[in-house]
Amino acid sequence: MTEPLLQVDDLRVEFRTDEGVVRAVDGVSFDLAPGETLGIVGESGSGKSVTNLAMLGLIPQPPGRISSGRALYRDEDLLTANAQRLSQIRGRHIAMIFQDPMTALNPFLTVEEQLTEVTRLHLRHSHDEAIAHAIDMLEQVGITGADKRVFDYPHQFSGGMRQRVMIAMALSCNPDILIADEPSTALDVTIQAQILDLMKQLQTDHGTSIIMITHDLGVVANICHRVLVMYGGKIVERADVDSLFANPRHPYTLGLLDSVPRWDTDITEKLRVIPGQPPDLANLPPGCAFYPRCSYREDRCQQSVPPAIERPDGGDFACFVDVDNVKPAEERT
Amino acid sequence: MGESLQFLFRRAGWYLATMWVVYTVSFFLMHAVPGGPFDAERNLPPEVRKNVEAQFNLNDPLPVQYFDHLTRALRGDFGASIKIPDFTVNEIIGQGFPISASLGLFAMVFAVCLGTTAGVVSAIRRESFVDFSFMVAATLGIAVPNFVLASLAIILFVFQIQLLPAAGWGSLKQIILPAICLGAPYAGYISRLTRTGMLEVLGRDYIRTAFAKGLSERRVVVRHALRGALVPVVSYLGPAVAGVMTGSLVVEKIFALPGMGSHFIEAAFQRDYPLALGVVVVYTALVLLMNTMVDFSYAILDPRVKLGEL
Repeated sequence: MTEPLLQVDDLRVEFRTDEGVVRAVDGVSFDLAPGETLGIVGESGSGKSVTNLAMLGLIPQPPGRISSGRALYRDEDLLTANAQRLSQIRGRHIAMIFQDPMTALNPFLTVEEQLTEVTRLHLRHSHDEAIAHAIDMLEQVGITGADKRVFDYPHQFSGGMRQRVMIAMALSCNPDILIADEPSTALDVTIQAQILDLMKQLQTDHGTSIIMITHDLGVVANICHRVLVMYGGKIVERADVDSLFANPRHPYTLGLLDSVPRWDTDITEKLRVIPGQPPDLANLPPGCAFYPRCSYREDRCQQSVPPAIERPDGGDFACFVDVDNVKPAEERT
Repeated sequence: MGESLQFLFRRAGWYLATMWVVYTVSFFLMHAVPGGPFDAERNLPPEVRKNVEAQFNLNDPLPVQYFDHLTRALRGDFGASIKIPDFTVNEIIGQGFPISASLGLFAMVFAVCLGTTAGVVSAIRRESFVDFSFMVAATLGIAVPNFVLASLAIILFVFQIQLLPAAGWGSLKQIILPAICLGAPYAGYISRLTRTGMLEVLGRDYIRTAFAKGLSERRVVVRHALRGALVPVVSYLGPAVAGVMTGSLVVEKIFALPGMGSHFIEAAFQRDYPLALGVVVVYTALVLLMNTMVDFSYAILDPRVKLGEL
């Protein structure tokens, strides 16, 4: 196996709130290989965005605090890097795109101003070089008439086009890693597919590693090689995509897969959901965070946090119960 | 540019209508208040009184007075002042307004520079000691009355340090103290507005994007956040500038400045109808002018704002 590009080790992030200390990320470890697309799946508040923002020092501190861990990018710990070094890495080596392209671009500046400032800063482009490069990037992401549109303001673009601009901006320094935080969630379904295809295309062209944060398993199946499933600030299951879909081992993963609407089932059947609410991170139960909502729960799940167990096909999961040989609560009579 | 001209022409019609409404309402309101310009004077024999009043057409029926004065006002002539003998209203305003206006502009420049700087610094270092001290200072600036501040400033800069003159008009040195005293509450208010605006903008998604691009904090603040943060300040500046340029009774009295601040109050108390109407019209025109400039500033600050749609 090749040397990983990024190694996150026991990352913990806390937020001080009025209700107490919230452990938004609680001991997360993972690797990212060059050219790989890693999916991070989970509900809102599961810690998937915070994990990535924390790596780049984008958590407001206070109230946030990174209480432990390492995030090695090419053997350099991002969590202890000083602000200046982090600025050099952000946008140059590790770039991000965000969920809502309507608000993620600055409405007061033209696309040209926003695109060129990255390359002028990191690649020391001259004014003319930077504009030429910006136009080239916009063409690569499929914006027609890029040489004119580059001087437009974000509000003159549609949502899908703005997300293309965001991608062009993120990729303009040819970064090693692209962190995409729900890049297609705010878009129409047809535009979503286009954006994902575009990202796949650009990945093959540039060899960029992608961390795809999403709650959409369709996106995961479409684009990812490996998946982390997060719940309550912890990774509850990790596997490559095919194994995860074929053989989910954690009850939460099972629930997620079950709640995807399918075209081949009886339409009179009600859509399945995972009962209950996402956990209150300020008051997590002592054992497994998923315990209150789990259909497979046993008494021991309340006493201690289940350790990570190896999956036969690589990866691991954190559950005491063998979901293949235990019936879920609703089927027991 | 064509868009701006169209905008101005469309606005001009509305402005004239607004001015007329303000003029008319002020005229009848003032005359509706009991009393007249010569009530305070002792024992005027009825004949003398009649004569004096006839000199200012005060015996004509009110509608006649109104149309007389309006037609002259439309030609730019507000008539003779009743209580300041031998001066026309135009002369009084012509002398006082430039002084009040320049003092006001100095005060506003001071207030904007200090207020926005303090507001930005407070927002970036929020909940720090610096933020706390600036906001206490801002509250003091708003809460402490002008005359207290002016007296303190005179004691400190005139008598203790002997750096600046205490009163008078004509040199730059004489403007500094009154401009600071006049501008202080505005500076306080502007700093709070800037801080709030900045905090709101700093929480926006595009600021996170800017940081994710690797820009330094200074660059993110100056290039990405400042414009958005100044929008509320600009809205506030329109009426504030108009108010401050038409003079302040207190500051002009304390520093013995021949501005027009006192005319507002005295003309109303003394029922000097022509002078009161004159200053009201000047003030209204100034408010409308400033609001137009605010609209232009919006269009300059925010590319999404189209003058044609305002």
